[in-house]
Amino acid sequence: MSAIKTTWHHLRRSPFQSLIALLVMVFSFFVISIFIIINSGLSQVLVYFETKPEITLFLKDGLDQTAVDNIQKELASYENIKQIKFISKDKALEIYKEENKNNPMLTEMVTASILPASLEVTVSDPKTLEKIYQNYATRTDVIDEIIYQKDIINSLLDWTSAIRKTGIIFIVIVGLIGFFTISTIIGMKITNRKEEIKISRLLGASNFYVKKPFLFEGAFYGICGGFIGSLLSFIIALIFRSSINSFFQPVVFIDTNLGFYGLVLLSEIFFGSFIGLLASWIGVKRYIKF
Amino acid sequence: MEIIFDKVDKNFGVINALKDISFEINQGEFVFIVGHSGAGKSTILKLILNQLKASNGKITIDGVDLSHGTKDEIDQIRRKIGVIFQDYQLIMDKSVEENIALILDIVSYPKDKIQSKIDEVIKQVNLNNRRFLFPSQLSGGELQRAALARALAIEPEVILADEPTGNLDPENAWNLVKLLKDINEKNNTTIIMTTHNYEIVESLNKRKIEIKDGQIVDSGSKDSSKKHIHSKKHERN
Repeated sequence: MSAIKTTWHHLRRSPFQSLIALLVMVFSFFVISIFIIINSGLSQVLVYFETKPEITLFLKDGLDQTAVDNIQKELASYENIKQIKFISKDKALEIYKEENKNNPMLTEMVTASILPASLEVTVSDPKTLEKIYQNYATRTDVIDEIIYQKDIINSLLDWTSAIRKTGIIFIVIVGLIGFFTISTIIGMKITNRKEEIKISRLLGASNFYVKKPFLFEGAFYGICGGFIGSLLSFIIALIFRSSINSFFQPVVFIDTNLGFYGLVLLSEIFFGSFIGLLASWIGVKRYIKF
Repeated sequence: MEIIFDKVDKNFGVINALKDISFEINQGEFVFIVGHSGAGKSTILKLILNQLKASNGKITIDGVDLSHGTKDEIDQIRRKIGVIFQDYQLIMDKSVEENIALILDIVSYPKDKIQSKIDEVIKQVNLNNRRFLFPSQLSGGELQRAALARALAIEPEVILADEPTGNLDPENAWNLVKLLKDINEKNNTTIIMTTHNYEIVESLNKRKIEIKDGQIVDSGSKDSSKKHIHSKKHERN
């Protein structure tokens, strides 16, 4: 009788304990997969903003054309500058009206004089944006306000970091619950089969021989938990994909890259077998002492 | 396989179950260990199996000192011993066939020959129509035969039989003993059987080690059992 056959026998002999262990592992890996998918989406959002290197310098009112030209020249002297676009007050009004054409209330009272002129700078290296910002942030004589992606990126980074930290804490907690559940259930199964183990040992079974089916059982919970949990999370992600992606447009928050999902699936199966083996090994070490 | 007990004591707390036990059993011998209940017969078998450790003295099996043998050495020795426990020690949620398959797997019997071996031993102990039943579905005699089948399956060098006739009717008891005698003669398998049935011991005229209150009172002759049975008859008269 092979160890795998014995493992199957153990699973069938206490189906409810087996089911609980399996469900806990499925839930753990479902949570882990969902976190990985969210994390991947957040990374896409970050990449999107990081690859759109733009900075807008709003000019003080009353600057003459020479002052504007001087600022433009200064900006042109930076490395990696792709484009410098001057938006006059009139152009700003034009843009404002275009953006709010469906809401006449917002456009009626606005005149070009209350909108600031600005310079929109596009660069090929985001590091240049930081240099421009550092230089012009203190130039309050000519610059009224500076807006660039750093704010958005910083804010996103804060959110991403918070979500990642919460996710990791949650994963550790569900991982530990899964780990101890397997360890305890294996311990209970060993206690139930103590007599059988004792007889097998007296018949000459080695220590490893009697432990092997329980180790396989732990690995089974981990592998199946990883597989089913991942698949469930992929199904959920696919179901909500279009609505989530339309919310984050133009960023593709949930990708359909099969390579990514394959890698997640394989990693979780591998991680699951490791957790299951480790948990059952601890259970076995604790309960089989003869 | 040579089994040597050298001045072995076994204590359970303050109780001295065995005192200064010395004997030697060689390969191919048929040895009865006789004595009344509680004399220490089963304790000797448990010491041979290393199920219990000797408190003092030395037990050597196949050249391995059991008190210093590694786990692997002990496992190897156990795989050469077929055991018929007094309480059968069959695994309750496995069928007769599965119980036999288990020990064959333990001794790494060739996988392609396991089924034919099971068929062979089940036929030998006449349990063909009971092979798929679980221990709870068998009678005492059938359980004993299932335990014997399991012991025989591994073609052991030694069979330890702890009161194997204790729960059997006289006919089944004789059949079992005859079967053990055949195995001993055909395969040169050492048989060590504990019993308090002196009639069986006398009829077979094999070596007898008699234990009384944890001490050996007779460690060897083939016909000393006859004297015992005659004295028993005198007592009854």
